Amino acid sequence: MNGTPGRIEPPGFILPQAVMEREKMKISKSLYSYYLILPALFIYSLFFVLPAIVGLFYSFTDWRLDREAIHFIGWDNFNRIFTDKTLVLAIKNTFIFAIVTVIGKNVLGIALAIGLNMRLKSKNLLRAIFYSPSILSVLVISIVFTPLLRSEGTINSLFEAVGLHSFSQAWLTNPSIVIWTIAAVSIWQHTGFQMAIYLAGLQSISKEYYEAATIDGAGAWMSFSKITLPLLLPAININLMLTLIGGLKVFSEVFVLTGGGPGNASQVVGTIILRAFGEGSWGLGTAVNTLLFVIVTIISIPLLIFMRRKEVTE
Amino acid sequence: MNYKMKRMAITMIAGLISVSLSACGSGNSKSEDSSSNDNGGKVTIELAISKSSQDSAFVAQDLLDEFEAKTNIHVNLQLLPAEQTATVLQTKLAVNETPDIIQYNLASATTDLNLERNFEILDNEPWVSRLLNKDVLSASGHVYSFHVSQDTGMQGVVYNKDMFKELGLSIPQNFEEFLAVCEKIKASGITPVFMPFKDNWAANIWPAAAFADYAAKNDPTLFDDLNANRKKWTDIPEFATFLQQQYDVYAKGYTNTDILSDSYDMAVGKFLNKEVAMMFMGDWLIENVAEKDPSIHLGLFAIPSSEGASLGASPLGGQLFIPKKAKHMTEAKQFLDFVASKEVAQKIVDQQGYVSNFNDVTTPKLPDYKQEIVDQYITPQKTVLTTDAYMLVDRSELYRSLQDQFAGGKTPEEVLADWNDKFNQLMKDKGIAGF
Repeated sequence: MNGTPGRIEPPGFILPQAVMEREKMKISKSLYSYYLILPALFIYSLFFVLPAIVGLFYSFTDWRLDREAIHFIGWDNFNRIFTDKTLVLAIKNTFIFAIVTVIGKNVLGIALAIGLNMRLKSKNLLRAIFYSPSILSVLVISIVFTPLLRSEGTINSLFEAVGLHSFSQAWLTNPSIVIWTIAAVSIWQHTGFQMAIYLAGLQSISKEYYEAATIDGAGAWMSFSKITLPLLLPAININLMLTLIGGLKVFSEVFVLTGGGPGNASQVVGTIILRAFGEGSWGLGTAVNTLLFVIVTIISIPLLIFMRRKEVTE
Repeated sequence: MNYKMKRMAITMIAGLISVSLSACGSGNSKSEDSSSNDNGGKVTIELAISKSSQDSAFVAQDLLDEFEAKTNIHVNLQLLPAEQTATVLQTKLAVNETPDIIQYNLASATTDLNLERNFEILDNEPWVSRLLNKDVLSASGHVYSFHVSQDTGMQGVVYNKDMFKELGLSIPQNFEEFLAVCEKIKASGITPVFMPFKDNWAANIWPAAAFADYAAKNDPTLFDDLNANRKKWTDIPEFATFLQQQYDVYAKGYTNTDILSDSYDMAVGKFLNKEVAMMFMGDWLIENVAEKDPSIHLGLFAIPSSEGASLGASPLGGQLFIPKKAKHMTEAKQFLDFVASKEVAQKIVDQQGYVSNFNDVTTPKLPDYKQEIVDQYITPQKTVLTTDAYMLVDRSELYRSLQDQFAGGKTPEEVLADWNDKFNQLMKDKGIAGF
């Protein structure tokens, strides 16, 4: 990556000094102007930066469906978020969901990727099978899983059939386990996507390292922890960020599987925002949204910087 | 670099301004377009309606065509996605992009759309003097909406009459009799009551009728007191009793086992397959079952929460409203006049089997179940408007609290306390005096 951009030279061919100087001149002259980012910057500002700033403003107001005027109310909305039982529960659920899915999707994703990077006859077929859930609409997932997860559904029937009566649960209707069930469904759906990124990462690691390690007497675990993991770090980084941000912003899985229920047991920040807007509390809804934005930012940016430092190059 | 940055900033600002100006320009030209009289004086009015109500008699194509032929006013339908109807309408009203006519429910318009601020009072329209029942179209003393029907839909226990006959059961008059009926049905191998409480609103049918029946008989000003914070939801021990009754029906095993996984859309199938005998629901369910299989005889009786309880009447739905900011107010009112005219109203009432709300339009022969309701409850005045009619705020949190009784093992008192807190918060947000 580090080298001056320019023509790819055939190996062993060295340009004379004068020619190189001329080439450099040409390169600096032919660089595109910064003005070319203007259209993208404009659209980005108009549709992302501007609404974010306006949203920040509204989150400190009592903007409501049935109020003519909008008043500045300071931190009231945020006070309410941290004192309302349901909102606190929603924040807790969001973190449970994010942590469980980050661990689940990445551990399983790496395991699947390593397994399917081996010499297997069916490896292409298996890769396709594991990847396929992630292309399904989340609505389809809900239609498939709702009957499976009923109290008298397929999953419980299976447990009963093999005598594991204590495993049989009201997966989507027991308030204390419902968020874990939704996380499990999400892991099932998205692990294949994480696997695909890890596979690409694994394939970019040169076989020579493993050969050298084998000659030096390294076992499977040694190769994995000293070669695979460090060289896979860029892929791990990107997957951690994707799953973490996705997990904190969770909405659709909860919305289609339980709608936040039973009662409010599986509310997450995303569904609370919808609820607040539905009640006409637009200021409060915007405040919850702002809070989500802040949470995602203060967790993901330091994590990103930390993980970047750990990356090594081949 | 500094100079470059400046130039860039200026270019950006210029770009922003030019785009925003051109946006304003196009907005203006658009509104001019819609109000301009193209094709020889033809005006187009916008009618916004939820997609789930697209079968409404008011937007039938032949009716709209007839109106256009007569008045040269074209009605353009804005079909809104069912889940987002409220949100879309709220937004349209907030940004002054108002349709000329909106079809909505009067009770929900009060809680979701800020009725008094956003909608035109129709007291002085010519059709108002012909109304039989002004109340179903009115709020806070004014006519705000239009409908040709006064049939509000009734809520109670939908039951299979054939099963009752076979088992020799009569309609229960109190809660003990109801439990006895359940026991006999259960013994015959049929599920007595279907509870589709995955849809949390379905858990509200029993309490909505029971609360209102209690208030009408024992404390007529109860809902006014609740709405003025003179009383709390936790102050009325009978409310907890009614919630406990509904829970008992479930706890005694008289329902489907997985009530929190079963949803309302399964109800018609359950009745068609004769799997269940009863359900706490509105008479619209009877209509839906009859459409699929007319040979099944269903009826409706009052929620048996107390001795000789009244039948719950839902607030009327599907009315037409004219926003205050409608761009074509005169034309919109012309549309209501047209639908209210004797011939057109008669045609709609006949086609839909409505109970007419105009003194010069006759009610056609009603389906059997409806005639029974009229004879047994409406004529002897044994009906009561359900709590929904009195609520000024969004009720979805009440439904969630009710669901919690079954999911979270909450006691009726806890359910009422939760709702009381939320109710206070919502009323306070709405700026109601006393909160």
